Amino acid sequence: MNLIWLFGAELKRGWILQRRYVVETIALMIGLTLVFCGLLVSTQNLVGPDVQLGDRLDALVVSYVLWSLSLFIMGNIAGELQQEAQTGTLEQLFLSPIRAAQLLIIRALANLAPQLVINLAILILIMAITGNWLSFSLFALPPLITVLLSAYGLSLVLGSLALLFKKVQQVLAVFQFLLFFMLMAPMETWTGPSYLLGWLLPITPSAGLLRNVISYGAPLDWILVLLALLNSALYLGLGLLLFHWAERKAKKYGGLGGY
Amino acid sequence: MILESHKLKKSYRDKGRLISAVHDVSLRIAAGEVAAFLGPNGAGKTTTIKIIAGLLRPDEGWVRICDRNPHKNQSALKLLGAVLEGNRNLYWRLTPAENLEYFGVLRGLSPRIVQQRSHVLLERFNLAHKAQTIVGALSRGMQQKVAIMVALIHQPRLLLLDEPTLGLDVEATEEVKQLVREIASQGCAILLTTHQLAIAEELADRIAIINQGKVIMEQATHDLIRQFSGSAYQIELEVSLDPARRLKLENLGTDIETETKLRVSNLAALYQVLALLKPLPVLRIQKEEANLTDIFLKLVREQ
Ligand SMILES: Nc1ncnc2c1ncn2[C@@H]1O[C@H](COP(=O)(O)OP(=O)(O)OP(=O)(O)O)[C@@H](O)[C@H]1O
Ligand SMILES: [Mg+2]
Repeated sequence: MNLIWLFGAELKRGWILQRRYVVETIALMIGLTLVFCGLLVSTQNLVGPDVQLGDRLDALVVSYVLWSLSLFIMGNIAGELQQEAQTGTLEQLFLSPIRAAQLLIIRALANLAPQLVINLAILILIMAITGNWLSFSLFALPPLITVLLSAYGLSLVLGSLALLFKKVQQVLAVFQFLLFFMLMAPMETWTGPSYLLGWLLPITPSAGLLRNVISYGAPLDWILVLLALLNSALYLGLGLLLFHWAERKAKKYGGLGGY
Repeated sequence: MILESHKLKKSYRDKGRLISAVHDVSLRIAAGEVAAFLGPNGAGKTTTIKIIAGLLRPDEGWVRICDRNPHKNQSALKLLGAVLEGNRNLYWRLTPAENLEYFGVLRGLSPRIVQQRSHVLLERFNLAHKAQTIVGALSRGMQQKVAIMVALIHQPRLLLLDEPTLGLDVEATEEVKQLVREIASQGCAILLTTHQLAIAEELADRIAIINQGKVIMEQATHDLIRQFSGSAYQIELEVSLDPARRLKLENLGTDIETETKLRVSNLAALYQVLALLKPLPVLRIQKEEANLTDIFLKLVREQ
């Protein structure tokens, strides 16, 4: 019961705080769309004007929007943690009888709806600009869920770093590129050992599955979905473990307060 | 006992060096009691408060809040409210009402109960008219009152206040003092730190002085004052002393501080002096009382 109330309180808090950033959010949406257009133009220049991107374009769109969604999620969890450590509210959060990791997850879920809306808007913008409309099916849902789980796992990893080192801005910047690579990596076209290794990368297998379903219209292989679920559960577990560890460290070294 | 802390020890590692911040700090506070925790900058007050609040793990020693250890049993945190150092215990972009609602639910209350209690608290703290103004736009005094309200929303048994009157003007300070008295009178145990010794003297039932991580004195406030007060009396006259009386008084061993002020070292001497002064008009006779500032400085410098 309590967790449901807390979810409600988080929804409300998120809404009140986000409402004040409407302009920033819209600017960010337009910026992300423009970056995609730039990316597209340079890709087309690379391969030459005569080559039709076709399904490849679909795949690019899917990966890009996943990247943007993951950025929102990570920036939200890690960025907010860092900000709250600096302003001092973090200690008040740790004074509650609810475990910090649990609170973070509830926060993440409460923030998910607006993040999905924003990224759906980006997707529609991109599709409108490129005139390339993707077809969605319900089969996109399972891989989307595993993508989200992986993103939460990685956010918790970043959140742990935020607890320990306070300044994650730089790390976040580097991480964006890593994430870009992991989401773009066309694992579905790999073969042999690299394909097997691909299954160990965070988020990559789930993104590959999603691309397969949406861009190439391939049927969903439930064995692969299960593997992707395992992969994302692994990274979520890793994130949780790391976060508990970081929390213990912070309580040992006095790192919860903003210095 | 609401709060018991036993031989808390904490060292920080700073650039490879080990700094002992708190050493063997034991405190006990009963329900309805206000304890003031005094000490110079860097003495270890905030460190102790954070250990008690479960935010910092002690190297040694333990804390019990109503017999529960906040470091092992997270439910102990329900018994505790804290306003930590500085002015950032709240979401500045939310209003007092929204802060109360959020933190109330976070502390495990249902939204309905939070609603009722915030209503009562806002009235009692005289902030109902500011309930819908964002915290960032309130004065420092109001922010501090909101922070105390938020710390009280789940009706804790122990309230920790780290420098609650820092940066407040005279009126806001008085208000916070009054609130602390009220909260204690309802049975809450309060531990507060302050550098304003007059406030500690007025508010606290018990005083603990900490220096360089060690508690150097812990006593009931009036015992402490009495212990340091000695037995001297001060007499103030409405008129100046004449030379003849002055000479006799000096022979009795009286300190003549000014033309109209005398200091007598004990009660027996007091009546002899009064006999001599008769029939001069007396303005005041008062027993000399030590004040906390003198005691504090004496104890801290002795170390
Ligand atoms: N996170 C930390 N890392 C390293 N050293 C710390 C940390 N927090 C406190 N210290 C050191 O521990 C000692 C005790 O600090 P503390 O903040 O408890 O003092 P205080 O009594 O609250 O002082 P003040 O009156 O200035 O608030 C100081 O020497 C301080 O520099
Ligand atoms: Mg302090």
